[in-house]
Amino acid sequence: MSILFSGRAAGASSKKIPVLQRWLMFWVQHLRQCIGSLGELWRTPLASLMTIAVLGVSLTLPTTLHLLVKNVQSISGSFTQSAEISFFLTEEASQTQIQTLVTMLSADPEVAQVQFISKADAMAEFQQVSGFGQALQLLDENPLPNVILVLPRHTQPQAAEQLRRRIEQERIVDFGKLDIAWLERLDAILLLMRQAVLAIALLLLTAVLLIIGNTIRLSIINKKEEIEVMKLVGATDAFIQRPFLYTGVWFGVFGGLLAFLVVELMVWWLEGAIGQITELYHSSFTLMTMSFAEFLTLLLVSVLLGLAGSYISVSRHIQAIEPSGP
Amino acid sequence: MLTFDQVSKSYPGGFIALDRISFELAKGEMAFLTGHSGAGKSTLLKLISLIERPTSGRVLINNVDLKRIRRSQVPYIRRDIGIIFQNHRLLMEHTVFDNVALPLVIEGFTGKEMVKRVHAALDKVGLLDKVSCLPETLSGGEQQRVGIARAVVNKPPLLLADEPTGNLDPELSKDIMRVFEAFNQVGVSVLVATHDHSLVARMRYRTLTLKQGKMINDGLLQYEEPL
Repeated sequence: MSILFSGRAAGASSKKIPVLQRWLMFWVQHLRQCIGSLGELWRTPLASLMTIAVLGVSLTLPTTLHLLVKNVQSISGSFTQSAEISFFLTEEASQTQIQTLVTMLSADPEVAQVQFISKADAMAEFQQVSGFGQALQLLDENPLPNVILVLPRHTQPQAAEQLRRRIEQERIVDFGKLDIAWLERLDAILLLMRQAVLAIALLLLTAVLLIIGNTIRLSIINKKEEIEVMKLVGATDAFIQRPFLYTGVWFGVFGGLLAFLVVELMVWWLEGAIGQITELYHSSFTLMTMSFAEFLTLLLVSVLLGLAGSYISVSRHIQAIEPSGP
Repeated sequence: MLTFDQVSKSYPGGFIALDRISFELAKGEMAFLTGHSGAGKSTLLKLISLIERPTSGRVLINNVDLKRIRRSQVPYIRRDIGIIFQNHRLLMEHTVFDNVALPLVIEGFTGKEMVKRVHAALDKVGLLDKVSCLPETLSGGEQQRVGIARAVVNKPPLLLADEPTGNLDPELSKDIMRVFEAFNQVGVSVLVATHDHSLVARMRYRTLTLKQGKMINDGLLQYEEPL
């Protein structure tokens, strides 16, 4: 609306144009500026490519590290699945007592699976597997205790440990054994790695922010003349800013896509080598690639970086450019 | 339409560009602003287009004191004022159409309405056939006319021109002035700053003359035949 001339219908907000059409015009204009800034990138291909490459490469490193952590986690996860607790029973435990305990444990909501291995069964298995068959025959009595194997429903180390302590209280249980010390260590290492990824990512992203800010600053300076003219014919700061912000968004989109491509390429390249290793270990491990959600997150982070980088620049420099005179 | 009330402008360092200027430009009036370079013509135009603010005194457009206008409102004020620049200030990488359409795009016009208005403005300055040319390919006079088309495309009630004929030969200058006259005849207030005395004298419009920041003449200038 015109401030000076109350009767004067100002531009597109004049009464003739219905609200819906005005609303559409607003978005058409956004689209036009959005596509316009894409064209702007196209006009300076080398500079744009360099900025996109910086963004892409900077995002590749944290993304790769993230994938690495994710894969290691999945391996450690499959180990955690087999975190059984072995309860060694006292010699005095009677058959009925054992039976009662097994029934009780089966009903326990925190227990997923219970398996009773009698000393005889254990002996037989030991003889078979260990190769001490002959030597074991010489023993007067079976030295092996009765064992109950318990698979906890919650396989995290803490939960399993809690369960172990609780069941250990039972009278006929001598002691329980949960071999998770190495799992805890692995978990700690993973946590460290995750924090390292975060720190590296933060550093790189800060650098990217500054680089994009600087690129946008240069293009603002290049267009100083044009910005002055636009201000003189009545463009608001917001209007002048928009193409630059869109440029930042485009940097983000292309940088994110580049990072995605590089990571996928790397995974594809590594897959062959990993296949060989897993074959040697008779394991069926397959490298996990980026999920769709992760891809979207990468793109979102990239776009936000582009937008933030250009916003830092735009908010300072466009205000500073004032027309010096008619 | 436009009122200057005891307006002074001094710059840091003590230079006084304008010294207690008072005048009034009526709605639909056309006037010249003359004086040697450095007399304060540009400063006066800058105060109207809010590029500068006065040190003291009041500038009013349509009885609205420009002192009240906040920085964020300045763009909306400029949309009501068509400004024509000495060096035309066209965007050289964009076509004539894009240049003229710029004020409309800023105001949110799209599609047919925009095309219609741009063509109408270019038709008024006689450049409809150059609509898709780049400004570089046009002559100086044509470029200046594109500048005028851009200034009038959103039909502002007030038109300011700063040395619009500065680099043009007398014949072209006359053409440009006729364009201004045509706009004036449809009710637009026009203020043209120029140092071309013979042109001013020949056109016989009210003339404001500045000298070292002071208004030394307000009225018709005597016709002086150039030597």
